[in-house]
This record gives sequence, structure tokens and C-alpha cells, in this order.
Amino acid sequence: MKMSNMHSEQLCVNMGPQHPSTHGVLYLDLRLDGEEVVDCITHIGYLHRSMEKIAENRTYTQFIPFTDRLDYVASMNNNLAYVLAVEKLLNLDVPERAKYIRVIVAELNRIASHLLAIGTFAQDLGAFATPLFYCFREREKVIEIFDEVCGNRLTYNYMRIGGVQFDLPEGIDRRIKDFIKYMRPKINDYEGLLTNNPIFLERTKNIGILSKETAINYSITGPNLRASGVQWDLRKDEPYLVYDKFEFAIPTGKNGDMWDRYRVRMDELSQSLKIIEQAIAGIPEAQATVKAGRMIKPAAGEVYFRAESPRGELGFYIVSDGSVNPYRLKIRAPSFSNLAVLRELVKGVKVADVVGILGSLDILMGEIDR
Amino acid sequence: MKNYFKRLIFGPIDLIKGLIVTFRNLITPAITLQYPTQKQAMTQRYRGLIDLYPVKCIMCSQCVKICPTNCLALTHKEGPDKKKELESFKYKMELCCFCGLCAQVCPTAALYMNKIYEIATSNRKELEINLLNPDKYAEWAHPTVR
Amino acid sequence: MVTLSSLIVMVLVVSAVLGFISASAMFLIWWERKVSAHIQTRFGPMRVGWHGVLQPIADAIKLLCKEDIVPVGVDKWVWWLAPFFVTVPAVMAFVAIPFGKNLIVQDLNLGILYIIAITSTGIFGIFMAGWGSNNKYSLLGGMRSAAQIISYEIPLLISIITVLLFSGSLSMQKIVTAQAKYWFILNPSLFVAFFVYIISATAEVNRAPFDLPEAESELVAGFHTEYSGMKFAMFFIAEYTNMFTISAIAATLFLGGWRGPLLPGPVWFLIKTYTIIFVLMWVRWTFPRVRVDQLMGFAWKVLTPISLVNLIIAGWFILK
Repeated sequence: MKMSNMHSEQLCVNMGPQHPSTHGVLYLDLRLDGEEVVDCITHIGYLHRSMEKIAENRTYTQFIPFTDRLDYVASMNNNLAYVLAVEKLLNLDVPERAKYIRVIVAELNRIASHLLAIGTFAQDLGAFATPLFYCFREREKVIEIFDEVCGNRLTYNYMRIGGVQFDLPEGIDRRIKDFIKYMRPKINDYEGLLTNNPIFLERTKNIGILSKETAINYSITGPNLRASGVQWDLRKDEPYLVYDKFEFAIPTGKNGDMWDRYRVRMDELSQSLKIIEQAIAGIPEAQATVKAGRMIKPAAGEVYFRAESPRGELGFYIVSDGSVNPYRLKIRAPSFSNLAVLRELVKGVKVADVVGILGSLDILMGEIDR
Repeated sequence: MKNYFKRLIFGPIDLIKGLIVTFRNLITPAITLQYPTQKQAMTQRYRGLIDLYPVKCIMCSQCVKICPTNCLALTHKEGPDKKKELESFKYKMELCCFCGLCAQVCPTAALYMNKIYEIATSNRKELEINLLNPDKYAEWAHPTVR
Repeated sequence: MVTLSSLIVMVLVVSAVLGFISASAMFLIWWERKVSAHIQTRFGPMRVGWHGVLQPIADAIKLLCKEDIVPVGVDKWVWWLAPFFVTVPAVMAFVAIPFGKNLIVQDLNLGILYIIAITSTGIFGIFMAGWGSNNKYSLLGGMRSAAQIISYEIPLLISIITVLLFSGSLSMQKIVTAQAKYWFILNPSLFVAFFVYIISATAEVNRAPFDLPEAESELVAGFHTEYSGMKFAMFFIAEYTNMFTISAIAATLFLGGWRGPLLPGPVWFLIKTYTIIFVLMWVRWTFPRVRVDQLMGFAWKVLTPISLVNLIIAGWFILK
């Protein structure tokens, strides 16, 4: 055979929508040169349920259960961001106790969400199932607390406009305190299993580097932004609820590589535990519940509210025309912009790292496709 | 070069740390439940299927209005003594998202959510439930409450 | 000429070996599932038999009953033959494994060389499976495994040569006899060789953290993505048989083989082998997977230099 007849071409691999590690139904169109990634085109929309259009035909209260289904591993934070947006539209003040309860459940859910992120990240790097199962074991404790608090395990629908659905049940503070006590040594377990593991370091250090500038240009938020060294956390910078009363640090990374993103999430676990501890100690005795179902008719106007969800900045933009339904509701989902940067990050890395980088960005398709 | 030897010596130590973690978990007892034989007790507030006390119902239709997925439908007629009387109360379970808004909004607590969670069925017709039938959930498994 | 009596003996030996291999593979599959489950604080199989011991049999029946799916566009011959190319070498290696003092099929005078040579032909099957499947994930898996096995053969062989310096023979039985005074692992230079051997052998049989050809998270199932039913089962049996083989070699070369006090030889041999297998499982369920270039780098930059230096030191000790 003559050499001139031989040629090499790029291999086109359709990763997804059915693939073990695309975090839902994401379809990556990978162009490979051997094992190296030349290009990666992201196709989304497989989980589209037209949430924003649904919102226009629902009352403000009716839309709360739908926010559960946006980022389904952090439903509490979605509920929270939405009701806070509506409350801002209504200029409604919430009872102090409700604020504390909201902080507690939101932070618990942040822990659950980060645990899932760390577990699946390790799974994507090939630590088959073991860290994931440990994380799930701890996440289960959080879910059991939520089961007790609001009666459901995944889609909580706990927040209400003007408060929360139920007050905390009897003895739940004891259980949350037990959880904090239980959780702290478990974090050390993860550290032992992953943090300094040489294979893990090899796989994550200096790979998928997201620079400060790129992160800001792509409007990356949440732990991914903080891993790139930008100290931006809405809980501190635009405090809502009672976050300004608590003491907690904002963990940041230096390089913005995969390891830093993992590190930031690990540190946020302990920071969240700290917040919960303070909130449990400071919770006032008062009425926390409100009656849902009262027809809410905000005055015509528009509002944008953003809150820090475990994945970043979750914003709700609501336009009201004075009727019972929102005229327009736009959701600014953090995962959407976090996924958009994937193409920048994966150019020139190996196939195995695509999965790892995707895992470290911690995207959730429910939120992206809405 | 120095880094190379450093990693060669300290790398295995960190690997062993990980092995110790997994070994500790290997000898601790398993925590999963053997599902069909062992079942987790349901919590007090658990949101299962929607259930109704027909006597308590005042036919205010608040639950029908609040339902985000329109899974409830009720009609009423005029009874013999000119009082309102429930004629039908349909619950389309396949549409229900178990959000619990209906139970919360009910002024007389006639509508509530029971603890049934094993709700798989092979017949779609079984998913449309007549809430006025007292034996509607007789065939479903009733879990214990914590 | 083959006489009838020798033919009967041959058949008996072959069926004994095959019986042991399938029993061992089934036990290992059950054990691996149990170990992984308990590491992950689960129970693992619990339903079929006592603590699910019969689960592998149930799985085997299920796989036997499955429809044999031939995907469109496969390279038919290559695709059909691949599972056999993987399984047959794995079985053939058992010829020279000494289970006890006289319990060996054939004490070849080139025993260890034979085993290494025959097991490394298993790579053909993996590469054929990857190529013949007409699937991009399989192709990537096959390419990875070819590169991987070629790289890891070198430190593996060098570490075995270190043993041969001390034993003075390639015969498996003679290597065991050479350990009459002390197990070879107690020798510092062979201690290093042991670890080099275990690491490169893990890579040879594609087990985690070196399971790149079947890397679940990126390549779906790697070279056997398209296989189902009994063909898949053959890959599976071959994997566990290979794992047994490398552990048996490690037990023979470094841990004194069937030698041990009180208990009979075969028992000691199996105890040692299964202990090593347990360690391999334990490692598999603990560590993340290395990347393909790091895998190569590790073989060439770490394992090969270490084993070479180790060989030189061992040689110097012997000459002294």
C-alpha cells in the first residue's frame, strides 16, 4: 500500500444522550484525534418541559411544586429562590422563625447536593461507586430529616410565599445536631479516600483549568467560580434571609482546576454545617407557617431575585401584570452557564478527562433544559 | 527529580490511607434495607396518595383550584333536604405530583394524604380513583407509620 | 502414540481443570460482589441461596438463555472468535500452576515463561473484540488495552527475572522448592519485585485502577460493549480466571506456593491465592482510575526503572 493512500481522520463519538456518565440526558458530540479531544459540541434540550411557559398558566403558589423539578437534587434551594422572588415582588416580610427554618433546610440541601456532586465526580474519575455510596449514605440522613420535616424525599415543596409549609416537627433539632456530629468525621473519610490520593491528584490537578477571566466571561457562578479564585457568594455579597447574622467563610481555590472545584465543595460542606449549627442555636420561637392558597395578586411590575443555590446563582425574573398568574417568568439556571464553558475546557484533553471535567462542573440537566 | 522521589515515597502512604477507609467500612455492618421484607416506616408528614373523608367535605373546591396539575375533579348536586351533596370526586393519580397543596388548603381537613407509596400498577384504569369509594385503596399495601 | 489410558487421564485432568476454573470463577464473582457491597456498606446478593452464593449460577443461566445478538456491521469472524481468544489462553495457563506437591498438570521446565507467554496472548482477543465490534467505544478500549499490555509486560517480566535469579530455574515446582528456607517476599529485593509484579499484573488483566479498556465512566463498557449473553459471560470468566492466574503466580513466586505448616499444600496455596485476590478486589473498589497517558507514564517512568534497578541490585547481591 502506498503511503499516500493512507490517511487519518477524526473520530466522531456521540457521547450521550444514553451514556453512563453524562449526568442525565446530555449529548456531547466529541471529535477525537486518537484519545485527544479536538472539539466538543454540547447538545441540550432532551429534558425540556417548558417550565417557563407552564408558569404563565399557573398561579404563584401553584408554581412552587414545579421549581422542585428544576434542580431536583437541591429542591429546597429552588423553592427558596422562587418564593423569595415572589416575596420581593409582593414586598412581603417573612416571620423571623421562617427565615431561620429556610436557612437550615437550604443549607442541609446544599450539603446533600454537594455530597452528590463529590460522589458522582469520583465516580466519573473511575472510583467505581465506593465514594458515591458513602456520599449517598450521608445524603440519606439529610433526606430522612427532610422526610420528617416536609413529608417527601426528593421534591419537597416546603417553602410557601410568606413562610414555610409546616413548622419544624418536634425533636428535629436534636436530629439535625446528631447529623452534624455524624457528618464531621465522615468528611475526613472522604479526605482520606480522595483528597491526597496520588491517582486522584494526577487525574484532577492542572486539568480543566478555568481561568478567572473565562469564568467571568461565561458568567460561571457558584463553587465553579469560587474555585477559579473569585470570592463571590450571594449569601455574603447580597445577603438574603438571615445569612448576614451567621459567621462563615467563602472557600476559594487558586487555579480553577478540577481539584480546586472538588476542594471548594468539600470546604463548603463544613461551612454549611457551621451555618446550620448557628441557625439551630439562634432559632426564635414564633409562628412560621402561613396559609397557602390565598389568591396572590401582586401589583403590576417586574422583579429579579437571585439566590445562591448549590450550583451557583439561581435567578428568577418575574413580570406581573396584576393578575393571579405571572405574565412572564424567566429562570436563570446556574448549570446552564456552567455547562456552556465545557467546550473551552475540554479542548486538548483526553477522553477520560471530558467525563471528569463534566463531573467537576456539577451540572444538572433538569435545570439546564427546564 | 526531587518531586519524583517525593511522590514515590509519599504516594503509597496516601493510597494506604484510602485503603484503610474502605477497610473500616468493609467491617462495619451494611446499612441498606432488604426492601420487600424490610420496609422503612413512613414519617408522620409523609405525602402519599390523596384520600378523603367524604363527610367532612364542604365542597368548596379549593383543592381543585389549587392543584397545579388538575388531577382532582369534584361535582355536587342538591340533596333531598336542599343541602349540597357530593356527587363525584375523581382523582387522577397519574397526573398527581404529590405536592400536598390540596391537603394544606383544605379548610376542614377532609382531604389528606395517606402513607401509601407502593403505587405501581399495570392497569392504567386503576390510576383514576373515585375518592368516594371507601374501599378504593383496599388492595394497596398500607405501610406502618413511625 | 496416544493410548486409551492416557487419553482417559487427559480427559479427566482437563475436566478437573475446567471444573475448577468455572467453580473458582463463580466463587470469585460472588465474592467480588460481596466484597464490593460490604465496602460500600451494602449487602450485595442476598436472595439466591445463603447470602446469595448461588447468584453466579442464576446469572449464568440467565446469560445462557439470552438471545445472541449480533449487531449490524460487525466483522463477523473476528467478532465471533474474540471471546474464545480471550478465554482459551486464560484456561491454558492452568497447565503449569502448581496446586500442591504433586498437584500440577505438567511441570514444564519453562513453566513460568509458558504462563506469561500464553496469558499475554489474551490481548489478541481483547483487541479483536474492540476492532470487530464496529463500535467506537470498543475500538478505543481495544487500542488502549494493546498499548497497556505491551507497556506492562516489561516491568512484569523484569520482576519475574528477579525471582529467577534466586530460584535458578523456570520450573514452577523448582521455584517453590527454592523457597524451602524462606518465602521470597522476605528478601528485600524480591519484596520490591513483588509489588512491581502485583501492580503490572493488575494492569495486565485490566483490573481497576488500570481497567482502561473497559472504563465504565468514559467508554461505557469498552471492548465488550456490544457483547451479550454467553459471549459476554466468556469475557467475564476469562477476567476472573486471569485474576486467579496472576494471583496464583504471585503466591508461587513470592509467597512460597503450596508450602506451609500443618495444613496440606493445596489449602495453603488457595489461601495465599485468595488473599492476594482479596487485596486486588479491595484496591479495585477504593481507587479512581488512572488516565491512559498516565498509565503509560507510570509503566515507563516508574515501574520499569524501579524493576531494572531492583534487578541490578539483586544480581549484585547474588554475585557477591
